[in-house]
Amino acid sequence: MFKHLLTLIWNKKKQNLLMIAEVLISFLVIFALSTLIVFYYLNYRKPLGLEYENVWVVSYSNPLKTENGDSLKLFYKDLLNTVEALPQVKKTGFCSNNIPFYQNTWSGSLKGNGKEINNVDNYWVDENYQDVLHVKLISGRWFTKDDVLAKQKPILINQKLEKELFGKQSALGKLVDEGNRKIIGVVEDVKAKGDYSTPKVSMYMKVDTGSWHFIQRLLVKVSPNADAAFEGRLYKTIAGMMKNSNLEIEHLVDKRKSINYFSLVPMIVSLIVAVFLIINVALGLFGVLWYNINKRRGEIGLRRAIGATGKSVSSQLVSESMILATLSLVIGTFFAIQFPLLDVFDLPKEVYLIALVLSILFIYLLVFICSLYPGKQAAAIYPAVALHEE
Amino acid sequence: MIRLQNIEKVYRTDTVETLALNSISLDIAKGEFLSIMGPSGCGKSTLLNIIGLLDIPTKGEIKIDEQKTDSLSDKQLANFRNKKLGFIFQSYHLINDLKVLDNVELPLLYRESSAKERKDLASEALGKVGLSNRVKHFPTQLSGGQKQRVAIARAIVGRPEIILADEPTGNLDSTMGNEVMDILLNLNKSDGTTIVMVTHDENMAKKTHRLVRLFDGSQVQ
Amino acid sequence: MLKNYFKIAIAVLKRRKFFTFISLFGISFTLTIMMVLAAFIENVIGNDYPDRKRDRSLYITSMEERGKNAMSSGSPSFYFLNKYAATLKTPAKISICSNGGNSTNTYVNNKKIAINYKYTDANYWDILEYDFVEGKAFDAQQVKNGEHVAVISEGLKKEYFGDIPSVVGKYIEADNVQYRISGVVKNVPITTYMLYSDIYIPYTVSKIDYLNKDYQGGYIAILLAASKADLQKISNEYDDVMKRVPMENKDFDHMNCRAESYMRSFLNTGNEDSSGLTEALTAIGVFTLIVMLLPTINLININVTRIMERSSEIGVRKAFGASSKTLVYQFIVENLILTLLGGLIGIILSYIIIQIINSADLIPYFVIKMNLMVLLIALLICFVFGLFSGVYPAWRMSKLNVVTALKEQ
Repeated sequence: MFKHLLTLIWNKKKQNLLMIAEVLISFLVIFALSTLIVFYYLNYRKPLGLEYENVWVVSYSNPLKTENGDSLKLFYKDLLNTVEALPQVKKTGFCSNNIPFYQNTWSGSLKGNGKEINNVDNYWVDENYQDVLHVKLISGRWFTKDDVLAKQKPILINQKLEKELFGKQSALGKLVDEGNRKIIGVVEDVKAKGDYSTPKVSMYMKVDTGSWHFIQRLLVKVSPNADAAFEGRLYKTIAGMMKNSNLEIEHLVDKRKSINYFSLVPMIVSLIVAVFLIINVALGLFGVLWYNINKRRGEIGLRRAIGATGKSVSSQLVSESMILATLSLVIGTFFAIQFPLLDVFDLPKEVYLIALVLSILFIYLLVFICSLYPGKQAAAIYPAVALHEE
Repeated sequence: MIRLQNIEKVYRTDTVETLALNSISLDIAKGEFLSIMGPSGCGKSTLLNIIGLLDIPTKGEIKIDEQKTDSLSDKQLANFRNKKLGFIFQSYHLINDLKVLDNVELPLLYRESSAKERKDLASEALGKVGLSNRVKHFPTQLSGGQKQRVAIARAIVGRPEIILADEPTGNLDSTMGNEVMDILLNLNKSDGTTIVMVTHDENMAKKTHRLVRLFDGSQVQ
Repeated sequence: MLKNYFKIAIAVLKRRKFFTFISLFGISFTLTIMMVLAAFIENVIGNDYPDRKRDRSLYITSMEERGKNAMSSGSPSFYFLNKYAATLKTPAKISICSNGGNSTNTYVNNKKIAINYKYTDANYWDILEYDFVEGKAFDAQQVKNGEHVAVISEGLKKEYFGDIPSVVGKYIEADNVQYRISGVVKNVPITTYMLYSDIYIPYTVSKIDYLNKDYQGGYIAILLAASKADLQKISNEYDDVMKRVPMENKDFDHMNCRAESYMRSFLNTGNEDSSGLTEALTAIGVFTLIVMLLPTINLININVTRIMERSSEIGVRKAFGASSKTLVYQFIVENLILTLLGGLIGIILSYIIIQIINSADLIPYFVIKMNLMVLLIALLICFVFGLFSGVYPAWRMSKLNVVTALKEQ
């Protein structure tokens, strides 16, 4: 029977070509969309890697005219102590402006273990960073005050960078950057660009005397009951100490929301567009199949007369559509498979594979549903009538 | 072989009731070649459809091989048609997208048989109707007479005991019509196949064993 | 003849209501997507408030410094623009202002307000035509004196002061500094990001040292030409100046900083290798292709089906002497009528969707309006759509054999 259907489809290839093309393009659209959704979903399932609730970010601009390292250090120590002395402040710490959930990035390359890894996110942080954001330490230790004195500058890296540099080995204690830096700890990956992003390879360096001129952010962890009135007080306190600085306080909760929004909006828009495209295609397929049934009434009547049951007629028509869908999917898969093979968008291969499977299932389901009703109609055709129509 | 008892068929639309068949009783013996005649709309085709189990009578009973048919399920009916009956139509009803051989094989697809067996049986049937040299053609490439011969091959490929022919020569000129008729007569004679044929043509009807005439749904002869 | 076609088209549409529904759904929906997109883009780039003299202005918004192993890009500094752009001879007027994206907070009645601020000079108010709700802009003398005066937006006025009739002369605290309000202007949508702000302040009161001699530093310049003809001259003059600018330091060997039209600067990526304009056009093109392709194929598919359904009509027409050409013409006209009908529905749908988007207030102060341009685009899309989806089926139809066509039904 299967071979019979193949023959039938092959002999009608001209009529079927358009339908194959339509299913093929639908498949490619679905594949693109599901790749995006799978990518987002897999990212979404990974842990965020930090705690952002009740963390405020104070942005300031260069407040002091001095270049003297010691006086800068003193000033900032004073600022930190003043802020920490406020009643609802739990912990504060300085860091570079590439804070998680902000658009800013700061990246460079890192050499180690005979390799050079590019696009490593560089974070300048102080010893309090971990107490503010609770980045999870996997092994080793976080910075301490004494780290400034070390001959080889201590750094922490994330798991992803550890894996890329050292494979399965532990990175602890290893020297990198031509022996200038020493890895003292490994932290869990942080999804710095929001819940739907992939963590990047990252390294954490300690803020030192030489970095004060570009450090313009203060992270403040406050207690849950800190309100706008307290925020106003914090603002005044800091503004009082930095007369010449522009000042802004933002909440990481809001920044996370807005950076997620930037990932979700394009997806939602494409989802809406895709849904309507699919409805369009589904209606079209349904219409064409339905019409074809009407055109083939004679054939269907004949099949009934020579011994086909109603069921076998409807399953024949459904199978025909499914074989057509399979043909489209074979061609479509050939194109789709190029993405992981050529590594077009730098996405993990499993994203493509899951998306591929999902889109294949989706297309089968779509074609199945679209042909179910016309198939049923066909089964209901009364052979005595159909055979005498012409 | 086939026994019809008081068959009545009524077609209902919203406003009108039409009596298509009125109390028809008919016995058809095994190996008989019966023709049914009558003007258009007299119920010939309805009668043939009922004999072919494609249509259900409003009243009455039809037995084939002493077996009652009114209680058969859709599946049993389909199986019955497949094994026991062969159909031939005025407008051939060949599937234009299938080659001649595939068209003839069609009934065998609905029963258990291997591809080779199907091919052999179909070739044999085509040989019987004299079309062995046309197996690779599409129906659109054939003449009307050839098409009808393909249809006959399709009807006999499953070796049915009964062939039901609905004006098989209606679309053909007399030469081709006679060719088709000869094949049917030959089938009846050599294989003993029971044939019921609806026709318009007195000349064709004369060649058969028995003639039944219908007028306005009733049997008049 | 056309009237006849029209009658047949309507009759055909009525005959198979389901197919008509599918066709119209596809056409109108596709058109709706395209129109909303077109309206959105048109309003983002076409909104000429407050820079109504856009077509005779050039913008310097970004600079890129490159060396063998170094690359740095950003907005130029006040120092740089003041030295190299403000000294140009050809422009009628030049303004330097900080670029968008600077924000700070203020706290009123235990409520936090996030504020965007922008430093400007006095020329800014001459070149750009802000609509003042009340008061006026600050003048050159006030800028020179470093007075703490500010022009604020209507939205900020409402948020900070509530519903009061006049605020000119009152003080507003922002960034911990008190500014005297000199004027209130109508809101600029954030999509006009180069000019958008809640509060405009003289650059002389900037807390950041605006005389810092770095080349990059968050400012932009707007060069107003006396006439459109001068634009090229200004651009050339500025390029000449740029050729003589010494490199900022040894890391860099060349620099890319140009005076560009609004469109180009709006889409500037800050990277000389990739033009934002090309990228935007490619993205729009790909999107259009995907959105249009499927419904087109779908429509072709349905049209082919419908034509086969009408084969006996076609057979009769041919038998009575219609040539293939007239039949093709008839069918394309029919299809165009169908698409235009779908287009009409599409326009109504997009109007509704645009109202929904506007009332959802997704982007503050940004209102999408349908205008003639958008309608023209819609008409064009409709036409292309109708033509594409009609030609192939019509060709198939004209190939139809008279005898088989007549026999088939």
